[in-house]
Amino acid sequence: MTMDATLSSHLQELRRGTVVVASLTVLRTPGYGYSLLETLSAAGFEVEANTLYPLLRRLETQGLLTSSWNTDEARPRKFYRTTEQGDAIAGALRDEWSRLDHAVAGLDTPTGTTTGSDQ
Amino acid sequence: MTTLIDRYVYTVLRRVPEQQRTDIERELRASIDDAVEARVGAGDASDAATEQTLLELGDPDRLADGYAERPQYLIGPEFYPTWTRLTRTLLLTVLPIVVTVIVVVGVLEEGATFGSVLGSAIGSALTVAAHMVFWTTGVIWLLERTGSAAGPVLGRRPWTPADLPKYEPGRITAVELVGTLLWPVLVIVGLVLQQFTFTDVPVLDPANWTFWWPYFIGVMILEVGYGIWLFRGQAWNHTVTAVNAAIGVLFAAPLVWLVTTDRFFNPQFLAGLHWGDVDPDRWLTFGTLAATVIGTVWGVIDVALRAERARRGRPGQVPGTAPMI
Repeated sequence: MTMDATLSSHLQELRRGTVVVASLTVLRTPGYGYSLLETLSAAGFEVEANTLYPLLRRLETQGLLTSSWNTDEARPRKFYRTTEQGDAIAGALRDEWSRLDHAVAGLDTPTGTTTGSDQ
Repeated sequence: MTTLIDRYVYTVLRRVPEQQRTDIERELRASIDDAVEARVGAGDASDAATEQTLLELGDPDRLADGYAERPQYLIGPEFYPTWTRLTRTLLLTVLPIVVTVIVVVGVLEEGATFGSVLGSAIGSALTVAAHMVFWTTGVIWLLERTGSAAGPVLGRRPWTPADLPKYEPGRITAVELVGTLLWPVLVIVGLVLQQFTFTDVPVLDPANWTFWWPYFIGVMILEVGYGIWLFRGQAWNHTVTAVNAAIGVLFAAPLVWLVTTDRFFNPQFLAGLHWGDVDPDRWLTFGTLAATVIGTVWGVIDVALRAERARRGRPGQVPGTAPMI
């Protein structure tokens, strides 16, 4: 495996769960598939349509999202909205994210102030 | 006329559960239309916008797998160890035994030549191996898709350190247990089957069903009990050597007597054999005697050696490594 391929596989691994947090957070205001895709990519999340659309349905089956068809406009769209349970889970995931962020930053500081080293 | 988008949507829906199709179709079409519209709005030509949108959505089969939440593998990490273990055991342990049985039966067949026996051995080895791998994979594939609810069927429970093999000298390993149990099972099955299948007339004298064949089945059941007794906390020691030798004598002595007094093979079967210059009766008698005596003596010596090795505290062989000399 080349260096690039190794990096991209690790990046993919690292990003895997972030789309869920982002979607649950964004969909506190109702949105449909394509609008969410646009919002996420504008916010800097690299997500593909073919991952996102099935994911939304999966989150709905898990009860983290609800959906309803909006037929007011010419093009009927399926709007998703984060449920209470989904919001709670998103909160827990965000907390975990910032905890990990702190932890990684702590490891990265050059003089190990947080680790009990023998110096 | 079906458009490119129609073709894409139908291809996805083809592989999606029926009750979800209507909803997925509406949603997918709206999403595609939104994306195309956005591209056209940004100045793309309509055809190019459609093509690019579909290209980004990618392989419709993969998208369908995503919607259907189908696992995209044959055997996942949960069942892979079971699959490898099962396939290995079948191919390395059961297959050689099956092929040996087929060869023995082939040799007894009327008009058998070296070539025909070798041919049927190779042919059946390939067929049986293919069946073993196919059915193992099939069953595990099914378990994979029916969910881990089926896991306990395979006797799977969480691993604990107590499950580690005890590499103590003298312990009886699971492999040795299987080896001990296979022999009696094969003898019983072979004894019953030779009466009905394999050849036109039974190979062994049917007159012995009044006493001797049931007697041998009884001895083999004793052997099964011996195997289980060994496995349940017994180590290789001199008691085991004695019990093993006793069972060996119970099996071999009547067998030798039956063979030498011409009560072992079915006379009708012997009469049906024509081996040219060679007298089948003499050779089969000699072969059976030799196999019985050598097999029994070897069995006794083998167990005695294990017991002796265990007594001296030499480590047992670690499975998968070169045998100890």
